[in-house]
Amino acid sequence: MGPKRRHRPYRTLSHTADLKLRIWGATLKELFENAGAALMATITDRRGLRAKETEEITVDAPDREALLVAWLNHLLYLYDVKGFLGRDFTVLDLSSEKLRARIRGEVFDPGRHVSKTAVKAATYHQLEIRQTQDGWQATVILDL
Amino acid sequence: MTEQIKLRQIDEYRWEIPQEGKMRTRGLIFASKEMLPKIREDRSLEQVANVATLPGIEGPSMAMPDIHWGYGFPIGGVAAFNLEEGVVSPGGVGYDINCGVRLLRTNLERAEIEKKIEELVDTLFNNIPTGVGSRRKDLKLTVPTLREVLLYGAKWAVKNGYGSEEDLAHIEAGGCIEGADPDTVSQFAMDRGRDQLGTLGSGNHFTEVGFVEEIFDEKLAEALGLFKGQVTVIIHTGSRGLGHQVCDDYIKVMLKASEKYGIWLPDRQLCCAPIQSPEGKQYLAAMAAAANFAFANRQMITHWVRESFEQVFKMGPRRLGLELVYDVAHNIAKIEKHVINGKEKTVCVHRKGATRAFPPGHPETPPAYKETGQPVLIPGDMGRYSFVLVGTQRAMEETFGSTCHGAGRELSRHAALKVAKGRNIVKELAAKGIIVRGAGRATVDEEISEAYKDVESVVNVTHGAGISTKVAKLRPMGVIKG
Repeated sequence: MGPKRRHRPYRTLSHTADLKLRIWGATLKELFENAGAALMATITDRRGLRAKETEEITVDAPDREALLVAWLNHLLYLYDVKGFLGRDFTVLDLSSEKLRARIRGEVFDPGRHVSKTAVKAATYHQLEIRQTQDGWQATVILDL
Repeated sequence: MTEQIKLRQIDEYRWEIPQEGKMRTRGLIFASKEMLPKIREDRSLEQVANVATLPGIEGPSMAMPDIHWGYGFPIGGVAAFNLEEGVVSPGGVGYDINCGVRLLRTNLERAEIEKKIEELVDTLFNNIPTGVGSRRKDLKLTVPTLREVLLYGAKWAVKNGYGSEEDLAHIEAGGCIEGADPDTVSQFAMDRGRDQLGTLGSGNHFTEVGFVEEIFDEKLAEALGLFKGQVTVIIHTGSRGLGHQVCDDYIKVMLKASEKYGIWLPDRQLCCAPIQSPEGKQYLAAMAAAANFAFANRQMITHWVRESFEQVFKMGPRRLGLELVYDVAHNIAKIEKHVINGKEKTVCVHRKGATRAFPPGHPETPPAYKETGQPVLIPGDMGRYSFVLVGTQRAMEETFGSTCHGAGRELSRHAALKVAKGRNIVKELAAKGIIVRGAGRATVDEEISEAYKDVESVVNVTHGAGISTKVAKLRPMGVIKG
């Protein structure tokens, strides 16, 4: 058996008007954690984020794919309402209908943080989560 | 890739997707021959055909020349549904409900303001909350107040000191869509809206000071109060996080509703419900609420634009003459009366990245424009130009009184950032005489001209097809972006 393939936790794929993310995780929990990180990387430069505050959230949805969208949209909600941006994501419980996560991060500070791309929502367009040889892969398009 | 969608040419600007398979009607694309290869590159034509499968569709499933790939409905899509059997779909409106644009005229000439353009841009930037986390210190919104905003839109704004009654006659739907119900808007959406009323937002939203470079029709321009060299202001923004949340909330509702009502969907993002169903009515009520939020937003920003001009030029409102020419929505669903096959019918018209373009004499066309037709504003990218047009009878007959909305992107944000790398975009634009202030560097780079199609070619198709008439071309002088 050869060496395990190293995967980038997330990357962007080509899409004209919006942003298409390809996310990877060794486990489903890791997939969802990396999805959170991918969203944050779109909005700001993650290197500037400090783990000052903690948010614990619960999200539910009718199926796993919808749960991914709901998770990302909840992160956008936190950003809009509190200015909160996550640095470290830990998924505590995950089923195909419910997610509970702890996020450590801080509130956006225009003096310190870089504003990158504004995201309106995570969408169901081309939404997919599938198992691969060595983990899980997801595709999600963000409406910018 | 998927099999090629058949296109049959009707004339220079019209192309038909023949009705086939599960389509209930044909598709109708407004485009020039030159545009077609690009249009075929993404799957937007397939999306036009998919919309044609929805129940209760009246007339063809249409797309304007700025067509590109969206969720379910293409951007640039127009589709109308009868009230008896027809459906309403949040994907046919978009996430940014009532993203729209308004044009202000002035009594000023370009030469009068050139020397002070930097100061004006800075003042606008300070007075209009732009970018993440910026807010006006003098605005504190309570939930009861937010409910009033959702119910009354621009009327609420005028009542609270933002602008005047005259403005309302120059806004689509009088700046207030009837039937808005704050109870259909979720707490999440209210939370997002509370902090974002009176903010510009980022991405492709902006406030732009420019001038009239060219007049195409003297008579129409005069009726709209436009003259060559005149200073103008364009405001482009929508319903912010509140609208996005309403869309997301109702997509979830509609996914369930589509199943409940047995509506076959070629694409999940076309999720919908019968207009007469509880879900359909609730979405329309929530959409109206979000739309009113956006109308109020643009009205407030207009007030701060007027204040900024007064501060910088030390002139009073009468001398400045910052009057609203018109305000249009380009992501919306409207209940309208149209003549279909000789009979008047009430339909729900979805315009997603498309603008209403009502003709002369229409009851909803303001008295000032009874002879000209409703003004239509088509913003281009920040480096080039924008256009003013008017609606026509032909549009009323063919496109449910609709036309294009803008240029549409050509390059992804990623590609745009690559093209912009190593360049100082702000400096390049300044060298062209355009002062740009953006809250974030990336937003400016992502919005470079190269990233956008040429809006002139889009506008020329609508003019050539007779669904709107060109009045004037505007050029930017100063832009603020989030």
